[in-house]
Amino acid sequence: MSESSASGLPPGRPSRQPFIHQENLSLDSGCFSPAVNFLQELPSYRSIARKRTGGFSREKQSGTLLKPADSYGHQLERGLAENLSNQSVRKYALDISEKRRLRDIQETQMKYLSEWDQWKRYSSKSWKRFIEKAREMTTHLELWREDIRSIEGKFGTGIQSYFSFLRFLVLLNLVIFLIIFMLVLLPVLLTRYKITNSSFVLVPFKNVDVQCTAYSISSSGLTYFYSYIIDLLSGTGFLEDTYLFYGHYTIDGVKFQNFVYDLPLAYLLSTVAYLALSLLWIVKRSVEGFKINLIRSEEHFQSYCNKVFAGWDFCITNRSTADLKHSSLRYELRADLEEERIRQKIAERTSEETIRIYSLRLFLNCIVLAVLAACFYAIYRATIFSQEHMKKEIDKMVFGENLLILYLPSIVITLANFVTPMIFAKIIHYEDYSPGFEIRLTILRCVFMRLATICVLVFTLGSKITSCGNYSCELCGYNQKLYPCWETQVGQEMYKLMIFDLIIILAVTLFVDFPRKILVTYCSSWKLFRCWGQQEFAIPDNVLGIVYGQTICWIGAFFSPLIPAIATLKFIIIFYVKEISLIYTCRPSPRQFRASNSNFFFLLVLLIGLCLAVIPLTISMAHIPSSKACGPYANFNTTWEVVPRAVSTFPSSLQSLVHSVTSEAFAVPFFMIICLVMFYFIALAGAHKRVVLQLREQLSLVRKRQSWGSGPAVFTQDPERNVVFFREGVGAPVTASSELSLRARAPPASFIH
Amino acid sequence: MGQCLRYQMHWEDLEEYQALTFLTRNEILCIHDSFLKLCPPGKHYKEATLTMDQVSSLPALRVNPFRDRICRVFSHNDVFSFEDVLGMASVFSEQACPSLKIEYAFRIYDFNENGFIDEEDLQRIILRLLNSDDVSEGLLADLTSHVLEESDLDNDDMLSFSEFEHAMAKSPDFMNSFRIHFWGY
Repeated sequence: MSESSASGLPPGRPSRQPFIHQENLSLDSGCFSPAVNFLQELPSYRSIARKRTGGFSREKQSGTLLKPADSYGHQLERGLAENLSNQSVRKYALDISEKRRLRDIQETQMKYLSEWDQWKRYSSKSWKRFIEKAREMTTHLELWREDIRSIEGKFGTGIQSYFSFLRFLVLLNLVIFLIIFMLVLLPVLLTRYKITNSSFVLVPFKNVDVQCTAYSISSSGLTYFYSYIIDLLSGTGFLEDTYLFYGHYTIDGVKFQNFVYDLPLAYLLSTVAYLALSLLWIVKRSVEGFKINLIRSEEHFQSYCNKVFAGWDFCITNRSTADLKHSSLRYELRADLEEERIRQKIAERTSEETIRIYSLRLFLNCIVLAVLAACFYAIYRATIFSQEHMKKEIDKMVFGENLLILYLPSIVITLANFVTPMIFAKIIHYEDYSPGFEIRLTILRCVFMRLATICVLVFTLGSKITSCGNYSCELCGYNQKLYPCWETQVGQEMYKLMIFDLIIILAVTLFVDFPRKILVTYCSSWKLFRCWGQQEFAIPDNVLGIVYGQTICWIGAFFSPLIPAIATLKFIIIFYVKEISLIYTCRPSPRQFRASNSNFFFLLVLLIGLCLAVIPLTISMAHIPSSKACGPYANFNTTWEVVPRAVSTFPSSLQSLVHSVTSEAFAVPFFMIICLVMFYFIALAGAHKRVVLQLREQLSLVRKRQSWGSGPAVFTQDPERNVVFFREGVGAPVTASSELSLRARAPPASFIH
Repeated sequence: MGQCLRYQMHWEDLEEYQALTFLTRNEILCIHDSFLKLCPPGKHYKEATLTMDQVSSLPALRVNPFRDRICRVFSHNDVFSFEDVLGMASVFSEQACPSLKIEYAFRIYDFNENGFIDEEDLQRIILRLLNSDDVSEGLLADLTSHVLEESDLDNDDMLSFSEFEHAMAKSPDFMNSFRIHFWGY
C-alpha cells in the first residue's frame, strides 16, 4: 500500500484517482502475510478505508460517486455495502445535493433487502429520530441556557464553565432537598396536617436521667424588634423549634395504616443517600476530564496541537472579545514556550543548587504550615469565645455587639481566607517552581485552607460539646447544661455560616465591585484609579467561594434538613448577582482558563470538599452520643445505632449474610482482590503504552525507508521467497540488479515472517 | 429588509433539511431569515446566491480569523447557495459528529490545498491566531516544531489527514471550540 499517494488524495483533484487503481492491483488482502498485517493498523490506511466506505468523491465539480467496486480488498467491499445503508446520510462530508443522491441510493438499496432487514432499519431510523426530538425538547428545559450562551460568546469558555458549574450545584442541591423531603419531611407533614390517616409513634425515654431530657427553647418573651432580626440571622428564638432544625423531629416513627415508618432510620438513610448521590454525580461528571488528563503523556504537559488547532473559539462574534482572544492566545503560547525553557533550566540544575532549593522549599513549607496553624488557632479561639458569650441576656447587650459575637467565627474565617492567599502568593515566588505549577500549588493551598476552616470550626464545637468542664460527662455523654440539644446548635452554626457567606458576597458586589467600576470609569483622570483598573473575574476565588458554600451545605444537611433548599436559593441568587457583576463591572482577563482544564479542576475541588465534609459527619454520627432531649435518636446511644437495630429485625438468614459481609474474614480478602485488580489494570496500561511507542517507531521507519527511494514505495510480497520488500518508484520494473540492491538493504527482521 | 421574495419554507423542505443536516428546526429557520435579508431582490431563496464577502460579513464569521478559508471550503464556484450555507451551519452545529468536524477542519486549515498541513500552513495558522505584527521567526519556528513533534507520527514534517484526525481525537477543546451557535444577521 502506498501511504503517501493514498493520503495525498487532495480534494478536487481527479487526476490522482487512476493512480490509486493501479495500486489496487498489487494489493489483495488474501496475500497479506500476518507480519505485514500490522500495516493495516496504520492510521492512514484505516482512515482511507473508512473514507472509501464512508466519504465519497471530494470532487466539487461533478459529484460522481465512487462505486463500491472501486474500493480495494474483498473485505472492504463487504464493509462498504454494510456501511452504505447503516450510516446516517448526515455524517458524510458532502454537499446537500450529493447527500440527497446518496439517500436515494440508500433507499433503492433497501428494496433489495429482506422484509425483516427493512423493518429493522426503518425502526432504528424512527427510534433515532424520536431520541433526537426528545433531546431537542429537553434542551429547552435546560436552566439558564441563553444566559450561559451569551456569557460564553462575550467572555470565553473559561468563565462559562464557572457558570455551568454553578448551575450543576443548583441542580445537585435541589435533588438533595428532594431526597430529604421524600424521606423525612413528607411523612411528618402528612401526619401533622392530617392529610393521611396516620399518627406519630412516641416512645417514652427509659434508662435515662431526667436531667438529660430537659430542653427549654429560649423564647425570650421580650418583643424587641431586633430580636426577630437576630433570630432570623442566627436560627435561634422562633426559628429553633421549626422544621429547619434537627430538634424538631423528636419522633420515633409514623404509624400508617399498614406499616410503621421508621423515621430515625429514614433520617440516617437520607444522609447516606445524599452523600452517595453527590459522590456518584461528581465522579460521573469528572470522568471525561480525567480521561483526557490520562491520555496526555508526561512529555507534553500542555498540548500545542490543542492550542493551535482548537485554540480559536468559533463562537466569538464580538470584536472586542476577538481581540481579547488574540491577546490571550499570544500570552498562552508565549507562556508555554517560556515554561518549556524553565523546565529545561530546572533539569540542568547542579546538585548544590538543588540542595539549596529543596532546603529553601522545606523552610517555606514550614512557614505555610505555621500560617495555617495560626489561622486554625484563631478560629478555635473565636468559636470558643462566641459559644461562651452567646448565652448572655439580650437586654444586657447592644445590638451590634450581640450580632458580632454570634457571627465571630464566620468573620474570622472570612478574614483568614482573605489574608492567606496573599501570603501564599508572596511565598511561592521564592520557591522557584515553573509558572504553571506555581499557579496550581497556590490554588491547592487556598483550597485546603478554605475547606479546612470549616472542619476546624466543627471540631471545635465537637470538643466543646463533649467536654464538661470540671465534672465528667458521665451523666448523658455530652455537656447537657450548655448543649441540651447539640445537633440543633451545630445546625445553627452551619446556618449562620451560610447566611453570612451570602451576605458577604452581596456586600462585596454592591460595595466594592460597583463603586470600583464607577470610580474607574468616571474618575479615570486620577492615576490611582487608572492603575487599579477595572476588575477581572477571578475564577479560582469564585469557585472556592461556591465550593465552600456547598461544603457547608453537605455538613449542615444532617443537622438542619432544610439547608439544601436554602443553598439552592442562595446559589440561584449568586448566579444572578455574579452574572450582573460580570457583565457590568468586569473586563475579561488576558490570562484565560481553558474550559477543559477548568471542568476537571472544579470537580476535583468539589470532591475535596465532599471528602472533608464526610469526616465531621461520620465522627458526629458514630462517636458523639446523640442528644436525649430532642431529635429522632433520643432513644439511642449514637445515631449509628439505628442500623444494627434495623438489621436485627431482618430474617435470620439475611442477618447472618450482613454480619458476614461486615466481618474481617470478608474484608481482608476483598481488599486483596481489589489490589490485584488494580495492579492488573496498571500493567495493562503499561503494556498499551509500550505498544503505542513501538507502532510510532515503526511508522517513522516506514517513512524513512520511503524517503530513501525516489518515489512512493509499494509493499509487495514475493511468494517464492516469502519476503516482503519495497519496490521503489512506481512502474519501475524490478530488474535483477535492483533486486540485488534491495536485498542488500534488507528490511529489519520484523518485516519478514 | 426583506429584499428577497418572502417565500416561507415549505414544510417538506424543512423536514428534508432536518434529515440531511444536523440542524434543528429553529436553526434552519433562523438561517433562512438571514439568507433572505442578504440575498438580492427578486429571487427565490433556492436560486439566489450570496457572494463570499456577504457571507464573511455575517456576525458569526465577521471576526473569525479563518473566515476566508471557511468561505472557500464551503462555497461552490465562489458563491454560496442556500444549501451551501446550510451545509456550513450543519458542520459547525453542536450536534454534528466529530468525524465531520475533523474532516472540514482539515480542509480549512490546509491553506495551500495540497492535502497536507505542512509547515507553511502551520505558520499561516499561527500568524492568524496571534494577529500581531511583531512575531519573531524564532517563535514561529518553535511553535511549528512543537506541533509537528506532537502530532507528526511518521516524521515527514507535515500532517496527513489521519495524523490530524488522531491529534484532534485526543484534543479536549476541539469539539467545544469548533462550534457556531448563531447564524442570525
